[in-house]
Amino acid sequence: MTYSSFFYSEILAIFRRKQDAVNALVFFLLVITLFPLGVSPSKEFLQPAAGGIIWCAVALAVLMSVEGMFKEDYNDGSLEQLVVSGLYLPVLVLLKLAVHWFAIMLPLLVLTPILSQMLFINWEILWVLILTLILGSPALFLIGTIGAALTVSLRRGAVLMLLIILPFYLPVIIFSTGAIAAAQVGQPYNGQLAILGAISLMTLTLSPIMAAVSIKASVN
Amino acid sequence: MNWIWFHKLGSPKWFFQWANKWSKFAFVIGLVMLVVGIAWGLGFAPADYQQGNSFRIIYIHVPSAILAQSCYLGLGVAGLVSLVWRMKMAPVFIKAVAPLGAVMAVIALISGAIWGKPTWGAWWVWDARLTSVLILFLLYMGVIAIQNSLDDMQLADKAVAVISVVGLINLPIIKYSVEWWNTLHQPATFTITAKPAMPMEMWLPLLLSTLGMYGFIAAIAMWRMQTEVLVREHRSNWVKKEILDNGI
Repeated sequence: MTYSSFFYSEILAIFRRKQDAVNALVFFLLVITLFPLGVSPSKEFLQPAAGGIIWCAVALAVLMSVEGMFKEDYNDGSLEQLVVSGLYLPVLVLLKLAVHWFAIMLPLLVLTPILSQMLFINWEILWVLILTLILGSPALFLIGTIGAALTVSLRRGAVLMLLIILPFYLPVIIFSTGAIAAAQVGQPYNGQLAILGAISLMTLTLSPIMAAVSIKASVN
Repeated sequence: MNWIWFHKLGSPKWFFQWANKWSKFAFVIGLVMLVVGIAWGLGFAPADYQQGNSFRIIYIHVPSAILAQSCYLGLGVAGLVSLVWRMKMAPVFIKAVAPLGAVMAVIALISGAIWGKPTWGAWWVWDARLTSVLILFLLYMGVIAIQNSLDDMQLADKAVAVISVVGLINLPIIKYSVEWWNTLHQPATFTITAKPAMPMEMWLPLLLSTLGMYGFIAAIAMWRMQTEVLVREHRSNWVKKEILDNGI
């Protein structure tokens, strides 16, 4: 096994299990639908809240999809093979994550303009929203991987994972919705975007290693 | 400086005997300072010119808030030690201290709410600092939850170490949230470098009760760690000898 063959097989695996990505997207849609139904469908509520609604839905959808990322591999034993393959485990985790990111985020980004119309977001704000999604979502995936790796050996790990990972998502959500809110009142939002990028970069250095440590502990 | 005494603490046996000596000392000193500090603060310190007597809850609120943060700092450092050097005592420390930190966070939240009602007119406001203590509490609950749900002890130790280290990222956010969001909550009460903003008669009991709280929590943490050491090392000879000689 080499890095490129692993990467290729991951792409194939995700293509042949399209349902996982579809599930995440449907879940995303569903969470967004809850807000107009649950709070108010008026433009006065939805327009200012839209950024927050979309970001909360993204965070939950990402968490749900990342949770199952190692499950299959753990059950059929291929996770063990990754550990003993002699390749550097954090890089493998990163490759797997990159494939997942594309599989979930690309359709989600395509869906966002449509949803933003449903939530009355202006076109200028939509641009900011998409920027925050691109800059912030890697952090969501990277942090989520740690939780997925820790709870992979548990049969009902989903709730536990939600419990331990969701608090770490808060800074990402705060700064991305902060950027959107700043853009809505016409203030500069570069600072928030920079911090989002910084959080993503920091998790990029930290979390593959942590995930690898957790996978090794889970497999033994 | 000689660090051998510190390295020895990595061994359960040494730790157990060291804690036997020091835990009572820390407990007595901590309790005395805590009682003196709180009694002084509640009974004798002058009333605040703006908040009147309601500010006196500071002598409980601030020590517990500081302890809640310090305990998490400890968790993070112990997690790092556990992952890098694999010292045996680090996971024991995490397991013993996480519930203490959670209790401290709860006390800080509740006393803050009680303080907030007369001062701000609301039990709770979504201010950065309050929210971050709430998040801190949730982080503690996450650590406790994963410790309890993983049956395999080695995996559980690894998991809490990883989560604690990752959670350490949250601490700077708590600390700097006041400057970042700049909201209702007053700035940090304690700074070691700057001159205290409150008069000496108010500040001294606060210092006393904070230090007392440190000693008190340290003693309880040592006892909890000792118990955990006994559980983990129950097969080793020194534990048998210890129990036969000294009882439980």
